[in-house]
Amino acid sequence: MNTVSTASWMRRALLFVLALVILAPAFGWASGAVGYAEPLENAAEATGAADAASAINPGLLPDYSVLGLAPPLGTLVSAVVGTSLTLAVALGLGRLLEL
Amino acid sequence: MHIPDGFLDLWVAGAFWLGSGVIIGIAVRRAKGELGNERTPLLGVVAAGIFAAQMLNWPIPGGTSAHFVGGAFAGILLGPYLGVLAMTAVVTIQALVFGDGGIVALGGNLFAMAVVDVFVGYGLFRASRRFHETGAAFVAGWGAITVSALVVGLGVGLSSAFAYEVGVTVPIMVVGHALLGLIEGAITAAVYGYVADARPDLVLGRFSDDALAPEVGL
Repeated sequence: MNTVSTASWMRRALLFVLALVILAPAFGWASGAVGYAEPLENAAEATGAADAASAINPGLLPDYSVLGLAPPLGTLVSAVVGTSLTLAVALGLGRLLEL
Repeated sequence: MHIPDGFLDLWVAGAFWLGSGVIIGIAVRRAKGELGNERTPLLGVVAAGIFAAQMLNWPIPGGTSAHFVGGAFAGILLGPYLGVLAMTAVVTIQALVFGDGGIVALGGNLFAMAVVDVFVGYGLFRASRRFHETGAAFVAGWGAITVSALVVGLGVGLSSAFAYEVGVTVPIMVVGHALLGLIEGAITAAVYGYVADARPDLVLGRFSDDALAPEVGL
């Protein structure tokens, strides 16, 4: 085990992930501009299920937005929060399973 | 791909919870002892990277958009059991914190994206890598997301909200995601190619003993 090499690839990988996070607002804007629809939504439209969708739990940051923040900033905050939380949870889970 | 609440009948949602619960439980047991100093950070970084990549909706003129799902990528890079754990973290956080995918439907989303996408992707990669490794990563990304879409199409198609129209939901899901899956395959292949060149020892899914790579430094 070489901790120096681990730190090196970790740093590069995290920089790459940070680049993805910074790009998130631009992609969010662009997909909105073309009228975002996924195949599941198309299937729901085709079978009359579209109105059946409900939100039991809208979440703390519903649909990757932050109450009171404009969409690009809300998307950026959501990307930072979600990515950091996922990193922490997966690392924590990994550490627990090492025991 | 994320199923909201209200789309699945309770028995379908329950079956998905059962299936994903069993497989995730097995993954937790198999992952114990497989995690080491390099693998635990890798698990965290891959999960975080997939969360961030899923936020990038690629706009496609004509009114659709696709985002990278990443289950096949996780399976290839981490091996199937750690791959399941990484995707479980991503999909659960998306549902709980961002309301992306339902709570009752979480079992279905876990089954599609954290189980089927990972195992099918890993299986396709292992079956085809002898022909062309980067090509195998493409096939894995494309094929796995298409099969995952089939599973979601079956789940909603067997539910009353979709009027039990399996014959409508399955073709829409499979054809739609087979086309969008070309992007999934391309991203899987591109990132796999980069990692396999730069740090082949980190690609745990390449090794024949399922998930274990030798611990290697530089």
